[in-house]
Amino acid sequence: MNVETSYSGTTAVATVSGRVDSANAKDFDQELRSIIDKGVSGLVVDCSGLKYMSSAGLRVLLIAIRKTNAAGGGLALCRVPDHIREVLEVSGFVRLTKVFDNLEDAQANFSN
Amino acid sequence: MEVRYEWDVGIDGDEPRRVAEQFESLCIEHGVPMGVVFKFQLALDELLTNVVSYAFGQDAADPAIKVTLHLTDNRVMAVIQDNGRAFNPLLDAAKPDLDLPAEDRDIGGLGIHLTKAFVETLEYERRDGWNRLSLVQPTEAHQEENA
Repeated sequence: MNVETSYSGTTAVATVSGRVDSANAKDFDQELRSIIDKGVSGLVVDCSGLKYMSSAGLRVLLIAIRKTNAAGGGLALCRVPDHIREVLEVSGFVRLTKVFDNLEDAQANFSN
Repeated sequence: MEVRYEWDVGIDGDEPRRVAEQFESLCIEHGVPMGVVFKFQLALDELLTNVVSYAFGQDAADPAIKVTLHLTDNRVMAVIQDNGRAFNPLLDAAKPDLDLPAEDRDIGGLGIHLTKAFVETLEYERRDGWNRLSLVQPTEAHQEENA
């Protein structure tokens, strides 16, 4: 798992790649917490390079959704591979966060 | 095609990943459709993660976890066995309320929820001090989709 982040004001784009499971969910959690702790309220998670995500990854996303909601922004996902989108649908996460087909629309979600 | 494989799994947080990744490689090598591979891998990972995390206390005398895999042309089958405390995830796991807002959602139970949704046949039995979970997924329907 690797996370690369770019910042623009209070919005950040975290591009996650590889595999997120119970073995490394703590690392993913720390990455997202450190981004939000920098004052980010609108977090876009670009999933284009994501190969695999289990419920351990969903739990990390849920924490990040709560934190960004509390900061007055939110979390948006984009470019989610089909098999992972199904995980989001079955777990009801599509009702907790917006899922965009492309990065630009996800970023625009947080622009004024 | 008929492939059998067996893992002895340690009580270690990295073990479910080792099994899941080897499962994926074996399936790809033997032409199992990727849609089946992903869902089954997730189920295997979630169930094994539960066993590794919760089945054994600190003082478990002789902990053992075994996974057997059986691939044929029309199905994927796996059996997870452990000699830990009796636990039937199909009945005993918390059921998540998927309609709650993020602030009220419980973070537990999602793994079993996904597993039930992703695997067609899932059975549990407790026998002679062992938990035994069997998972069966047909592959033919998916092969037709991909044809």
